[in-house]
Amino acid sequence: MSLLEVKNLAVGFKTDDGFVSAINGLSYSVERGSTLGIVGESGSGKSVSALTIMRLVPIPPGRIDGGSIVFRDQNLLTKSEAEMRRIRGKDIAMIFQDPMTSLNPVLTVGAQISEAVRLHLHLNKRDALAKTIDMLRLVRIPLPEKRVREYPHQLSGGMRQRVMIAMALSCDPDVLIADEPTTALDVTIQAQILDLMNEMQERLGSAIVLITHDLGVVAETCRNVLVMYAGNLIEYGTTDQIFSAPKHPYTMGLLESLPRLDDREHSRLVPIEGQPPNLLRLPAGCSFAPRCKYRMPICDTPTPLYDFSNGHVARCFLYDERTAGERRLTTESAPQIPGTATGALTAPSEPAVAV
Amino acid sequence: MNGRPDILEVRDLYKYFPISAGVFSRHIGDVKAVDGIDFSIRQGETLGLVGESGSGKTTAGRVVLRLLPATKGQVIFDGHDVHTLGPGDLRRLRREMQIIFQDPYASLNPRMSIGAIIGEPLRIHGLARGKDVDARVQDLLRRVGLQPYHANRYPHEFSGGQRQRIGIARALAVDPKFIVADEPVSALDVSIQAQVINLMQDLQAQFGLTYLFIAHDLSVVRHISTRVAVMYVGKIVEIADRDDLYDNPLHPYTQALLSAIPIPDRAVEIRRKRIILTGDIPSPVNPPSGCRFHTRCPVAFDRCKVEVPPLQTYAPGHVAACHWVEEHGGNAPDLTAVPAAVA
Repeated sequence: MSLLEVKNLAVGFKTDDGFVSAINGLSYSVERGSTLGIVGESGSGKSVSALTIMRLVPIPPGRIDGGSIVFRDQNLLTKSEAEMRRIRGKDIAMIFQDPMTSLNPVLTVGAQISEAVRLHLHLNKRDALAKTIDMLRLVRIPLPEKRVREYPHQLSGGMRQRVMIAMALSCDPDVLIADEPTTALDVTIQAQILDLMNEMQERLGSAIVLITHDLGVVAETCRNVLVMYAGNLIEYGTTDQIFSAPKHPYTMGLLESLPRLDDREHSRLVPIEGQPPNLLRLPAGCSFAPRCKYRMPICDTPTPLYDFSNGHVARCFLYDERTAGERRLTTESAPQIPGTATGALTAPSEPAVAV
Repeated sequence: MNGRPDILEVRDLYKYFPISAGVFSRHIGDVKAVDGIDFSIRQGETLGLVGESGSGKTTAGRVVLRLLPATKGQVIFDGHDVHTLGPGDLRRLRREMQIIFQDPYASLNPRMSIGAIIGEPLRIHGLARGKDVDARVQDLLRRVGLQPYHANRYPHEFSGGQRQRIGIARALAVDPKFIVADEPVSALDVSIQAQVINLMQDLQAQFGLTYLFIAHDLSVVRHISTRVAVMYVGKIVEIADRDDLYDNPLHPYTQALLSAIPIPDRAVEIRRKRIILTGDIPSPVNPPSGCRFHTRCPVAFDRCKVEVPPLQTYAPGHVAACHWVEEHGGNAPDLTAVPAAVA
């Protein structure tokens, strides 16, 4: 039994230009104590998927068009706002990208952390303060007795993100969702925060869902990776599988297009041509097809997930038995096709993913 | 590359922004954004300028172009001191030096068509008139990978990557020799970054451009630069050829910065020992005494707190400002052997 299971989720937003579908039938699950990285570019739906779990998508203009989010046998999408308030921050906590705008500027950091602790753990004022100082010490904030009385503007960006982590972990959540937690930070500070998150996870055993656009951050922190494009999962596997043997042309393209710090060749970068898809007018078939160098006629039809029988799945017709001949004609440098590809294991509505 | 002449030389350059307070706007201090830097750029090369926020890299780029006046120091471009030129000479010089901005959304006027945006520098500098402007704009659009008919459209109709191409076309319009590129790809999605980097490299080869490439992403900088300069709180701490800098970083800050970059390769990540610095980046308002890095440096000693280390040459083309390196015969400290610094 998974701790958290997202099934067939569809979320969209009404805009002046029409309906934007941010997530189209996304399915994945999170096991207790695991680390899952969700990577994707802007508009891929990675943040919206996290906000939907927390039920923080504003409705309207947002609209949840279907699916379920099952957390400990209960569907979060059918919960009342009062029930959600008891879950948020206690069972599922979240860290946001920008620690300046997600902390209240007129409250001390101590007041903000102890508010959550008093509400969820029912501690009295004095115990809550003691717990708050403990948490600040745990995230290695120097002089926690002094910092607890300070306001967010008195702290640096890295310190504020530590406060956010302390707050998120204060009630010992089962799931911690971190949405681009280090994107606003400098690299030497990012290294500190990632190190802290790894340590906290080993210590407290919360499952972490790390949302990021940075493949390097994922390689460093996550055991499993989910790659999103245009609101859906296009590839899922262990970090080793995704980085050493990517299956989807988009994932392969992303890894090829990155300049690498350890690259001595300085060979020309191989970009993914074209532009990200317009979410107002998504193609009927694979949404990556217009940019894909392996595009085939069949790509204009809905694409199922293909399972490589070791937990690695990809949503791409290259792995369909029917297209094997066509594929060889299209390109010489086609990706390595494992002989074990078992064809369509599941229809897109039936997730093949287990985390 | 070594045989080529310098196109730009920066000598002892300072830029302070005054801070005032109270009813009489009393001067109470300065943001020491650029605090005495020296470097030069050779014709046709790309100098990468890297640093974290508050390091002064963006300010340095603006002062080099005289988009901001210098507090002290000289910028010599092609034999002219940029900061002492009169208005007429300065305008002529602006044709030679251009800039590409970080944010492709904020740097294009939303009320101007693309044709007007790219054509404006041509008109201002009197390089073309009437129909010639349109022809030149269309040629520029093609060169940056857009279509001639895009000239009639407006910025909001383009994606981030396309807007950055428009910004590049505008910079190229006056046929410059030297371009300051201030974080030109950091606002772009990963899959689009490579397109713009390739374009910049193609244009460099085609027009013999010289770049000052300012960025915080060391992987991108290594890829595009000939040489790299590292800044920390207003000072340059190290300059070297790109491979030399990445293979043999001398300054402890350079080492830590390189080690902090996550590499998108699981196998490499597992083998790597990381140096994790303690503490935050100091404020340029009140920078630490002596070596600015001593508050976070794992090998700092007494001398580092009082004496500012000068840039010294340790190998051909490789300079660094570090007392530890100087006292150890030009060898770099092994930070992975300092237990407090390793994770």
